[in-house]
Amino acid sequence: MSNISRLQPASPTPTLPPRPRNLFPVWLAALLAVLWLIVRDLEISFETLAYGVADIGEYFSRYREPDFSDLSRYLELMGVTLATALWGTMFALVVAFFMAPLAARNLSPHPAVYRAAREALNFMRAMPDLLLALIFVAALGLGPLPGALALGVHTAGFLGKFFAESLERVDQGVYEGVTSTGANFPQLVMYAGWPSILREALGYVLYILDRNVRMASVLGLVGAGGIGLALHDTLRMFDYGQSAALILVILATILIIDYASAWLRRRLG
Amino acid sequence: MSAISIQSVSKRFPNGFEALKGIDTEIQSGSFTVVLGPSGAGKSTLLRLLNGLETPTAGAVHIGGEIVDAHRLRHIRAQVAMVFQQFNLVDRLSVVTNVLTGRLAHRSWVGSVFYLFRTEDMAVAQEALARVGLTDKAWSRADKLSGGQQQRVGIARALAQRPKVILADEPVASLDPVSSEEIMGLLREICDRDGITVVVNLHQVELARRFADRIIGMNSGRVVFDGPPAELSAQALRTIYQREGMEHDNSLDLALAYA
Amino acid sequence: MTTVSILRWPTPNGLPPLPVVVSLCAVLGAMWLTASLVEVDFVRLAGSMGKMAAFAGHFLVMPDWAYLPELFDKMLETIEMTVLATAIAIVVSLPLGVLAARNATPHIAVYRVVRDLLSLMRALPELVWALVFVSAVGLGPLPGVMALALVTVGFMGKFFAESIEVVDHKPVEGVRAHGAGWLQVRVFAMLPQALPDFVGTVMYILDHNLRAATILGLVGAGGIGYDLVMSMRLFQYDRLILIALAIYLVVTLLDRLSDQLRSRIIHGART
Repeated sequence: MSNISRLQPASPTPTLPPRPRNLFPVWLAALLAVLWLIVRDLEISFETLAYGVADIGEYFSRYREPDFSDLSRYLELMGVTLATALWGTMFALVVAFFMAPLAARNLSPHPAVYRAAREALNFMRAMPDLLLALIFVAALGLGPLPGALALGVHTAGFLGKFFAESLERVDQGVYEGVTSTGANFPQLVMYAGWPSILREALGYVLYILDRNVRMASVLGLVGAGGIGLALHDTLRMFDYGQSAALILVILATILIIDYASAWLRRRLG
Repeated sequence: MSAISIQSVSKRFPNGFEALKGIDTEIQSGSFTVVLGPSGAGKSTLLRLLNGLETPTAGAVHIGGEIVDAHRLRHIRAQVAMVFQQFNLVDRLSVVTNVLTGRLAHRSWVGSVFYLFRTEDMAVAQEALARVGLTDKAWSRADKLSGGQQQRVGIARALAQRPKVILADEPVASLDPVSSEEIMGLLREICDRDGITVVVNLHQVELARRFADRIIGMNSGRVVFDGPPAELSAQALRTIYQREGMEHDNSLDLALAYA
Repeated sequence: MTTVSILRWPTPNGLPPLPVVVSLCAVLGAMWLTASLVEVDFVRLAGSMGKMAAFAGHFLVMPDWAYLPELFDKMLETIEMTVLATAIAIVVSLPLGVLAARNATPHIAVYRVVRDLLSLMRALPELVWALVFVSAVGLGPLPGVMALALVTVGFMGKFFAESIEVVDHKPVEGVRAHGAGWLQVRVFAMLPQALPDFVGTVMYILDHNLRAATILGLVGAGGIGYDLVMSMRLFQYDRLILIALAIYLVVTLLDRLSDQLRSRIIHGART
């Protein structure tokens, strides 16, 4: 055992290897430069902002006395808004239910089908719901229905992508287990796909419902029904009392839906 | 005709790995065959060729005279059932529903996508569950069962298919010795009583010796041994389990002495 | 041939499981009750197929190429609003996230106040805030940036607080044991653990904010939104098609980029 002598270090202690270049400060500086350029380009003058901030206090004080005289009409409008969100979400759910398995790489019957389904879902997500609402209003006239359709199409894209990604994360073995019994595509999806992601899927649906309630409340601005239009009108007429009341109604509803969906999600485990 | 016919089958994966290099063999109907070999020998690939989970790059597989190809998978799989090392059950579903998935090939899909089954299907499922001794766990969720129990559900699912062939890919690798005994015993009993052809992948030599009618030893994608357990000598074992560069190493013999 | 067999579900009593039945009834019931509110009318829908087709036909026109420079400016403005608002929001939500995390907040009262504040900030949609801010500071991209930043702080603050709440406490104790001060504990032990998740959140939020920014112009808060609505109202389909295409391209580009970045960061965090 004469190896011990080899453990002695060579004459001077070796120096540390050169420190790897840290590019982080470079990225940070570049980012700050970009931000500064943006501020310049948007012509955001800090003066206006400063005045604005000073005025903000005064401005928000105008909302101090909400005027609930028209409350019953507001609640009705909020009801329409909620209904619009519900129908839109259900429509999205139906579309996503059929498209998601096609858009999951490990389930899709053919790579071309997979790509087509993914692109379709991306397209549906990319179009802002407001644009879709405008289009549907042009085709169907004013009212909440075009709003519901617009929400449905847009969020179908999101829901479809979420579902598809969940389906792709399922252990391949579970799929093989059902496939090896001779099940065909619809059977595979129903027995190995959806049961495996049920909890996640419900969470996504609740999240989208939540999101649709928010969007539905502004769709009124383009004539697609609901409370948004009322708010636009009252603000335009500088009726801060009514605006405050409207905002509070919207706020209260959204908070209730938030709590309800969080509660539901906790109960699902 | 034999139950399974494997003719000059080779399998090369897209990454270049040659899992099987020219396998030629027949498996008789009603027999209990064990495929023995080290990891990477190609046992899994071979088994998966038999129910279409993999396709050969050369050669063909016939089950009961019918060729296994992409167009006939549903038909083939209705007769060929598989049991997996990781059980591959659907965790959220009940034991009964998992067993019922074995009936899916025999149902048109219209009712089954709504989870509707005929009374005959329910009867088959109950019978299968009774056969593996899990009737009292019928309505439990699959993931609440122990490993051994889950594998029995896997076997029940296979039985529910009323198959001619049962393939078992390392069915006991994830189980403790007692459960392993149970499962192997169950498979053997199914083979004897129902005349179903059983092909099992194992790496445990002792289990192979005790349960098989015929052992096919594989190494590096080739068949290096084919015969009854009685012929499985130490020399034969060494051929099956040796790795490149280990021909003169006696650690292999030591390990196999305890196998 | 077999006689007609009875079909049943794989449950002890043959009927579908109770939770399934109850939730299905609840949802269908709610939809039935609200159908009139939404003015659902399948006859009308079917009838309007023709109108939809005619409408789609309007898009088969020669695009207004002369509009391209203006389109580019507006899209650039939209993107800039998104980036600026998100950057501001990151800076603000880092400290707020710390205050809103139960294991990092200086006092439980602070935690509660900040949590409620964040909740309020994200309760209203961006467009509503934009309406309010336009009314306060006038038209232009400024109210848009303010609205986006505000709502984003609401979401990011919450995400960040939740990430901090699930950090491993061992590094925290370790740093504390070496005499680190209040701020140092948070910066050196908590933040580094919460950061990888946070980056993924930022990607997702950038994606969301870009989509939101495209419509803020509707109320005069900058970006392409105004042109979008106007060209629709004025039946300028030759512009509308360019606008729609531009939005689609930019949103998709960012989507792909963020997917790429996210997978690279996940790999980075794992190695």
